[in-house]
Amino acid sequence: VAAAGSIVAKPDCYSINQLVPDESLATLALLTSTAAASHAGAPFFVIVKSREEFSHWLNHPHPDLVGIQVEDLINDPEVWALAAQGQRDTPLDVILKDPAGEFSALYRLADVRLVRPVRVTIPALPGLRKALRLAASLQLPVRVLPGQPDADSLLELTAAADFYLRDPMVDAPIEPFHSVFAGLRGMTEGDLWEFLDQDPALFSKPDEAGQPPQAPDFVKNHFADLLRMGIQCSTCLWQDLCAGYFKWPDPAYDCDGVKSLFNLLESAAREITHDLATLSSPPSSRS
Amino acid sequence: MSDRVFSVILLPTAECNVACTYCFEHKEPHRLSMLLVPLLTRQLLDHLDHEGIDECEIYWQGGEAMIMGPTWFVEAGKLMDDAAAARGRRFVHYLQTNLISYSPAWNDVLFTMFGGSLGTSMDYPNLHRKLFKGGADSYTKIWTQRLQEAQAAGLAIGVIAVLHQGSIDAGAEAFYHYYTQELGLTSFQVNTPFPGGPAKVHQDEFDLDSSALSEFLGSLFDIWMERGYAHGISVGPFDSLIDHFTGLPARLPCIWKENCSSQFISIDAKGTVAQCDCWVTSYPESFFGNVFHDADLTKMLRTSPARREFVERPKHLVEHEDCLECRFLSICHGGCPVRTYSALGTMLAKDPYCEVYKTIFARAEIHSRMLLKGIRRPDRQVGPASLTTVATPSSST
Repeated sequence: VAAAGSIVAKPDCYSINQLVPDESLATLALLTSTAAASHAGAPFFVIVKSREEFSHWLNHPHPDLVGIQVEDLINDPEVWALAAQGQRDTPLDVILKDPAGEFSALYRLADVRLVRPVRVTIPALPGLRKALRLAASLQLPVRVLPGQPDADSLLELTAAADFYLRDPMVDAPIEPFHSVFAGLRGMTEGDLWEFLDQDPALFSKPDEAGQPPQAPDFVKNHFADLLRMGIQCSTCLWQDLCAGYFKWPDPAYDCDGVKSLFNLLESAAREITHDLATLSSPPSSRS
Repeated sequence: MSDRVFSVILLPTAECNVACTYCFEHKEPHRLSMLLVPLLTRQLLDHLDHEGIDECEIYWQGGEAMIMGPTWFVEAGKLMDDAAAARGRRFVHYLQTNLISYSPAWNDVLFTMFGGSLGTSMDYPNLHRKLFKGGADSYTKIWTQRLQEAQAAGLAIGVIAVLHQGSIDAGAEAFYHYYTQELGLTSFQVNTPFPGGPAKVHQDEFDLDSSALSEFLGSLFDIWMERGYAHGISVGPFDSLIDHFTGLPARLPCIWKENCSSQFISIDAKGTVAQCDCWVTSYPESFFGNVFHDADLTKMLRTSPARREFVERPKHLVEHEDCLECRFLSICHGGCPVRTYSALGTMLAKDPYCEVYKTIFARAEIHSRMLLKGIRRPDRQVGPASLTTVATPSSST
């Protein structure tokens, strides 16, 4: 079971993996609009950064196009009016870069989500909580990209995790909390790289300079290196779920704050497991 | 195609045969010409094509829609439905009428075009709905007679009740008894008043105290849950809130949509397009355009500066009001633009009934929790009644 908040989350289709043809072991590529124009033979996501690019890929879909990652366009109402037209249902991953300044524009996705799968990707920056509240009120799945959070970002992430765990308004999944929480309850397998669509084995993304993506075995090698180096990961309780996610790109990053976040999710997982066990046991045996 | 719904509140006439004191409409002697129905239909179907929407709900009202006569509706309905079918689309028609001119001559078109149902309005006590000659008592007498005739003909009837100070003074018990026992209704909906258009001069009569209104609605909610919910009585908007909080598919009324601007327009007999009937009949400064003059409805909606304010309103509210911190944001989104505008002179503020809504939402939450804990849920279906502040009978009636 893959991350439920994945861009292609639909009742019958929960992961990017499931969009890749069974017979193909190819990695799903995330391509710039220019690169995608000459791409052939394997499924891909296209990154669009202008109204023209968005309109092109929405109205002239490539047979291998799996979805569109929309960057820097949340403040363009025309883009979202176009996206709310229901002729095709190409999924969208909408990237916020400045949640504090852009959160209210999520209202522009209210109609879009009725015609196609939409996920919102939000960095762990000031404004995350506001963006999460609004996304949740619109039933939009969210991917929170934690990166290597500093103290302020950790506060945002902790509040976001608490919101995910406690607020009845939350209906659509918020990743990575959703899958980590499921993992802690033994209901899913995988790690943060996978939950956040950042495992190069599954999702190949060029860097800012357009350089070739990391090798498919990047996560495996990165984590093996960390264990070999004998730093925090080797004794970490959540190493299977994390797989060295927070030690990239700086392996010296101090994970103490992150561990508090895992602890919060684990406590909640224990709590709900206990509550469910109590509810399902005969009344006489309840403590 | 998509799950998007597009609805049109269509006013074939601004004329009316009664004289209600709180009506927000500017009455004018205009009627929609049959010659213009094909053009109107083409504009709507072009818009559906462009937006990739299969179905369009038409809420016929007025003025008083029955002034047009049943023959006019038969012809208009056929023109519209044939044109839609030819393009693989569908219109679904609903009728809102004051019933005063109802007669058996309407039954054929009511059963064929409107699915055997209609929506009407009556307040308790009726102080403000009046005939031109004869006042409120005469209105009530004639309306009740027409209601009984329509019920006897087998029509399903939903009733809107607009609350006023007299309703609150009478109390929730008497209010509920009137609709369910005296009138024998199985579907009615309570609306909060707003003093728009010509009704502005009567603002004092409808400036209800929020605490008293909240208490009234809370009591009405309790009475309905105790006596009506499990017995097939539908009271809007309580019914859709219970559906929402118990996890059933719920179609909340337009006042609580994420953004009503993308789901509704209203068109009057002259072709004027605005957000809803309240705007098209009361506030010329907020018109989007004219469907008989502008070549492209979609383009009009995209480019109208007046519409831009509606589109951006929810965004403005979460930036400037306390809506983002409200735990009911997901089912309210700042409430109704016209209620806000009529009270405050701007739509860029949250609905003045905010505190009343919170009371209703909290009450719905409590009742839903009790239902989920074990009270048996009756078979209920979600009907169109809760879509707008226009009432049509729910399909459970």
